[in-house]
Amino acid sequence: MKTTLIAISIIAVLGVALVSQIHFAHAQLSQTTSAKQYLNLRAEVWNEFFRMTTAAFTVGAIVSGTMIWLVWRFRESNPKNKSPTKWEHLEDPTAGSYEEEGH
Amino acid sequence: MVLELQKPRPVWQIMFSTHHTDVGYLYLVFGITFLFMGGVLAMIIRTHLFFPGQNVLVSDSATFNRIFTVHGLTMLFLFALPVANGIGNILVPIMVRYKDMAYPKLNAIAFWMNPVGAALLWLGFADTTWVSYAPYSIIRAPGPAADMFIFGMKILGISSILSSINFVVTVLKCKHPDLPLRRVPLFAWSMLTVSLMTIVAMPTYAAALIMMLTDRLGLSGFFNPFAGGDPIAYLHLFWFTFHPEVYIFLLPAIGMMYEIIPRFSRKPLYSQASGVFAFVMLGIIGFASWGHHMYSTGMDFTTKVVFMIGTLAAVPASGMHVFNFLATMWGGRIRFAAPMKFAVGGIALFFSAGAGGVLNSAMPLDFISHGTYWVVGHMHLFLIGTIGFGFVAMIYYMFPYVTGRMYNEKWASAHFVLMFWGTVQTFFTQHLLGLEGMPRRVYDYPTDFTSWTQLNQISTVGAWLIGASFVIFLASLIYYSAKGKPANMDDPWGIGGKYYYPVSAKNPHGGHSGY
Amino acid sequence: MGHDTAEWVFVAIVIAVLCYVGVDSWMIQKEVEDVPADAEIIKVTGQQWYWSFEHPNGTKEVNTLHLKVNHAYKFEIYSRDVMHSFNIPDWVVFEDAVPGHTNHAWFAPNEVGTYPIQCREYCGLLHYNMRGSLVVEPNT
Repeated sequence: MKTTLIAISIIAVLGVALVSQIHFAHAQLSQTTSAKQYLNLRAEVWNEFFRMTTAAFTVGAIVSGTMIWLVWRFRESNPKNKSPTKWEHLEDPTAGSYEEEGH
Repeated sequence: MVLELQKPRPVWQIMFSTHHTDVGYLYLVFGITFLFMGGVLAMIIRTHLFFPGQNVLVSDSATFNRIFTVHGLTMLFLFALPVANGIGNILVPIMVRYKDMAYPKLNAIAFWMNPVGAALLWLGFADTTWVSYAPYSIIRAPGPAADMFIFGMKILGISSILSSINFVVTVLKCKHPDLPLRRVPLFAWSMLTVSLMTIVAMPTYAAALIMMLTDRLGLSGFFNPFAGGDPIAYLHLFWFTFHPEVYIFLLPAIGMMYEIIPRFSRKPLYSQASGVFAFVMLGIIGFASWGHHMYSTGMDFTTKVVFMIGTLAAVPASGMHVFNFLATMWGGRIRFAAPMKFAVGGIALFFSAGAGGVLNSAMPLDFISHGTYWVVGHMHLFLIGTIGFGFVAMIYYMFPYVTGRMYNEKWASAHFVLMFWGTVQTFFTQHLLGLEGMPRRVYDYPTDFTSWTQLNQISTVGAWLIGASFVIFLASLIYYSAKGKPANMDDPWGIGGKYYYPVSAKNPHGGHSGY
Repeated sequence: MGHDTAEWVFVAIVIAVLCYVGVDSWMIQKEVEDVPADAEIIKVTGQQWYWSFEHPNGTKEVNTLHLKVNHAYKFEIYSRDVMHSFNIPDWVVFEDAVPGHTNHAWFAPNEVGTYPIQCREYCGLLHYNMRGSLVVEPNT
């Protein structure tokens, strides 16, 4: 449930970020500045560049935000992490993976 | 332990050994030596570009072109590959529970070809750039330098094929029968993947090198348009080898992070299966994207689309690695010792390099980015940000095992802060420089554009920070391997439990359940 | 599924973003490669280490190219020795000059001014100085 909520909110953020870009994509086509109506090549390419960077920075903000939170929350010096986790009671907590012995 | 500087083993004993840890140690020393030699060249390049129109350190473009060519060759083939092979040599046989590599003598031969190749590259000091595009490398590149480059690369290529065969046989045929392949630790999986990729990719370049040599001698005209050949053919052969080679450089660093992150998070890996899956996927899809280096060579629309899809297809697998790392850290109790710091810094930079890579794969953006400093910034974020950070993390992690001593955590932290800051400052700035239109591989740039000058200076200061961080690294490697406190070999970082893989795996009676 | 769900969701998001990138660049590239029919052909020849230009009326220029504003131009790009790359960064014009091949690029400048032309593929000793300029003149 919790993961589903997180996933939906991430998709929503991405959707909002990308949908808001749509009018940029068509801005160029509706422009009527040049006399002969040539495609403005440089504007097309740079607009795409800015759309792509928006997407990249949105994803980047989510990923790096998650990383910063992870590093802050799960550092061993965090007061919330005083007691050993359940995995540390295993004989070798790093061996294997969740699939066999995690649950 | 391999090395004890207080009671040193005779050097010849290590040099003539075929034992996997000794060969691995030779690889490491060789690779780290060339890291610093290539680093000096990098410092010369960046310092020279600090002022436009000035002859700082280098006074002619011929020398400058040679310097950046050898810098690239050194960092890729004399640092990245040997260090990965070195750590692979030390750890892979332990991880698959075999006494040595499958072919110990072949292993030693593969290593000893490296100094020969290195000598040819450094004594020749070619100016072809590391990609050595035809027809420049055939009709214009001067004298013995370019031929020595061809022979040097040939020898290094054979060496990497030999060591790859060795890794493949070691993992697939010599692993302990009780150890199913899917349970083999992910670092060994990464070495297996890159070895298979090398065996598939490298012969193409070996052939291209011979063709280039006969072209240079005037015996043939494969790539020489003035003798009926086609330079585009060389580009295809080159990138068919060297786009997969990008993953060959990268995946061992990812495998090293897989070794470090669960230990310092005190948790099992989130998913072994997805790590294996992502390695294999990258190993296959890595061969479907070489054409994105050639968008601007007159490629038609359909071909561009195919290669763009091939490039984008590699992204989910890389993303799975990042996800796996973050999910492993989630819920752990993380000790940020030096290896963990570098591994986490490496993930952050791996992600940003990857995001830039997605932008590169978009066909129209090639007009903006191709051949500019954007590309320089992008691939250095991979090479330093991911491969460099992964390798440095692993070198700190292996330090107690190799020397029996402990490095100093404070100096390691200083190294990390300087290196991370310097990498971000140098290479993020170079992305902007590329957007401003500055071409790569230039000896000088015009004074007309103040933004070029400013961005170059910011980038150069960042490079000096990286240089300073590596001075700290070298000094602490040397000092603490001789004078460091003896390490607790069961648990050098005091994380609790018998975590330290190389030691615990070698002494299975010490209570370690193994993989 | 179990704990894999999170990973599948993550991979699905990544693939969605990649599809967006792919479709968008497919559309833009399709548009950008469509050369206007009335584009005037300029022959561009790169050689170590300068650019020469030939207008349709036979006028030849070296390193400085004079063009008219609000007019489409198609470049036919040749090389006489090694690989070069014809680049006008301010107008996003970029294509390699490969000996033995003819490559194409086009643009339609809509602003008067002087813009740098440069080589963006390593071509030897004076690669850094293989620079020219584009002068876009008012259409009289």
